[in-house]
Amino acid sequence: MGSTFGGINTALTSLYAQRRGLDVTGENIANANTEGFTRQKVRMQAQAGGVHPGIYSTTDQVGAGVAVSGVERSRNEYLEERGRAEHASSAYLSTQKGSYDLIESVLAEPSDTALQARLHDMWDGWNDVANNWQDPSTRSALLERSRTVAITLNDTYASLSGQFTANRNQLDAYVDQVNTLATSIADMNQQIVVAQSAGLEANELRDQRDVKVMELAELTGASAQSKKSGAVNVYIGNGALVNDFSARTVRLAGPATLDSLTPANHVALKWNDTDTAAAAGGTMGAMLDTMNTIIPDVTAKLDDVASKLAATVNTALAGGVDENGDPVTGGYDLNGDPGTAMFAGATAKTIEVIIDDPDKVAFSKGFPKDPDNAIAALDNGVADALADVGIAGTGPDQAYQAMIGQLGVAAQSAARRSEIQDSVTDQVDTSRDAESGVNLDEEMTNLLTYQRGYEAASRVLTTIDSMLDQLINRTGLVGR
Amino acid sequence: MSIPSRVTGTSVHTRVIGDLQRNLAHGQKLTSQISSGKQLSRPSDSPTGTVTSMQLRGEVRATQQHSRNANDGLGWLGTIQDKLGDASTSVIRVRDLTLQAMNQSNTDQSREAIAVEIDNIKATLIGEANSKFMGRPVFGGTTPGGEAYDTTGKYVGNDGQTTRTVGPNAKVRIETTGPEAFGAENSPSQLFTVLTELSQNMRDNDMDKLGTGLQNLDKAHDLLKATLSDVGARYNRVTQMKQSAEDHLLSVSSQLSDIEDVDLPKAIMELQIQQTSYQAALAATAKVIQPSLIDFLR
Repeated sequence: MGSTFGGINTALTSLYAQRRGLDVTGENIANANTEGFTRQKVRMQAQAGGVHPGIYSTTDQVGAGVAVSGVERSRNEYLEERGRAEHASSAYLSTQKGSYDLIESVLAEPSDTALQARLHDMWDGWNDVANNWQDPSTRSALLERSRTVAITLNDTYASLSGQFTANRNQLDAYVDQVNTLATSIADMNQQIVVAQSAGLEANELRDQRDVKVMELAELTGASAQSKKSGAVNVYIGNGALVNDFSARTVRLAGPATLDSLTPANHVALKWNDTDTAAAAGGTMGAMLDTMNTIIPDVTAKLDDVASKLAATVNTALAGGVDENGDPVTGGYDLNGDPGTAMFAGATAKTIEVIIDDPDKVAFSKGFPKDPDNAIAALDNGVADALADVGIAGTGPDQAYQAMIGQLGVAAQSAARRSEIQDSVTDQVDTSRDAESGVNLDEEMTNLLTYQRGYEAASRVLTTIDSMLDQLINRTGLVGR
Repeated sequence: MSIPSRVTGTSVHTRVIGDLQRNLAHGQKLTSQISSGKQLSRPSDSPTGTVTSMQLRGEVRATQQHSRNANDGLGWLGTIQDKLGDASTSVIRVRDLTLQAMNQSNTDQSREAIAVEIDNIKATLIGEANSKFMGRPVFGGTTPGGEAYDTTGKYVGNDGQTTRTVGPNAKVRIETTGPEAFGAENSPSQLFTVLTELSQNMRDNDMDKLGTGLQNLDKAHDLLKATLSDVGARYNRVTQMKQSAEDHLLSVSSQLSDIEDVDLPKAIMELQIQQTSYQAALAATAKVIQPSLIDFLR
């Protein structure tokens, strides 16, 4: 047998619960467009009546209403982990694609104005000298075109070096951002753990923390692990960035310019306390790869082109050893002096033309000052041989074309992988959103449900009230 | 593409924006292809196409080079042809004069007059043997000096050859050395030696030696004619190579265009289709995104 006023209490619990439901629905609707917001659901639990048998405890075997057992956050941990991994890959590939785009713009092939066209102009210049070395303007034009080739190589190297430096500066800014995020995640960990152990709900804090962890995942490829206490540990590679309430810091180490990069001295992300390398992925990982691998690769190949160019032209002019190791005799210039080298420096950064006087260009294979009249000759042998280099199979042009081909393949594959990864990431994001996003139709329906529940509960209250009124105020009133 | 079990406003929004972006990116690529006229603007568009296009550009340059070389060669060979033709005409005149001198009825004065004319012809011929093209003596080989023959008719050049590349692996010799055209030095049938001796023998009135001189003159003339026809053959060959270089240039340019240039009608059609599909996507988006239950509740 329950108490007289037990029904009122039941209705009252229902009023509380429906009000709570309405509040949560209001919260969901208010945050429908908030980034990183997880929809919340009210968990209601029917209250049991007395279930412990005892001599003096009685029960009318009816439950005691409803209570809100908790406000749940609908987020699937597995989907979240996948989301972080896919976002990290996406950031890595799109940054890599951006780097390749920049390198391709610097080289600007195929075109009529880039290095390949300049090389052709230079070989044409040698052909003009071979046809008409008597005219000093052909030799001046040749020197000018050779200078243009050297300057183009210098400029290309300078642009790539500039890209390296820009990447490094950007990385410095990112490193600061990573350290700030790590500290704030550690702080939020503390707040959430304290709240959870006190039984308070910290759903909004968790949402904010998840947004920050996703940012870290995109920046560094970080992974996260949640613990029962409510804290989240964040790892970069195998090293912990955030461990419960404490955060470690990272810094950028390594050369500041492309020139000081060596195989032993790479740019790397290092932990401040142990000075070991952190295996970063994501945007920062892609930038590190660009600086350590992609750009040096391209400049090495460019250096190869420059050294082949210098070796070919210098050997033909001044004598030396060709690529098979056979000795080659040099040429003679207009005045019969032996030829001097045209290019100094064998890398893209340092190559330059050192002949200023057109009369010093050694185009002739024959020696004009030989005392024997039958042997003295002034021909175009050297110029002719150099004019053929442009279409031969092993000269600097071929090395350059091979480099462009390899760059094109790498850039194309990076672009394709980035596209594919983007659509995979979109799918995972859609799944995550399906789990934790706010659907306004659903909220509207919930609003209706809770509203009617509230109305019905208050109706129950009114009914019990009128029944009690009947009992209390009308019973036993005889004759009035 | 899997449809998730629960669809939210944000997920529809993200999906739709992503799809519209992809559509727009495709449209942008087509637009830039049409406005630049090139479907190959960076190596990553087609790596193999880029390498082929660079090689073809190299071949275009090489073919243009061959054409220029052929023009230059024709200049040289043309000059040589003209001069050898003139020399041949002069030699025929000398022959007539010699026959006239061998006539017994000549007096000393008339023979003297003929000898003087032969001397003049010899001076003219030496001048022609020293003619230049673009500042180089065409009969001098690769001599560093500026002359092929000195004033006495002695060869002061050398026997080096000059060639021009007029096709792939095709080098044609564009000059003739003096000894090849006018007779080897110190040979009795060297043209200038013969002329000197003829005028001397005429003054000495030595008929036997005039007879031998006439034979030597004929030998020199035969050599001259043979060289002339050889030069003519080379001239024809270079003309042919020049024509073939120009034909090759056309074909290589058209190959290059196939690889690099965009097919304009095709690209414009694709752009139209893409625009239509973009508009359809926008209309569908507008229909899906707007309504919600809120519109229908009291």
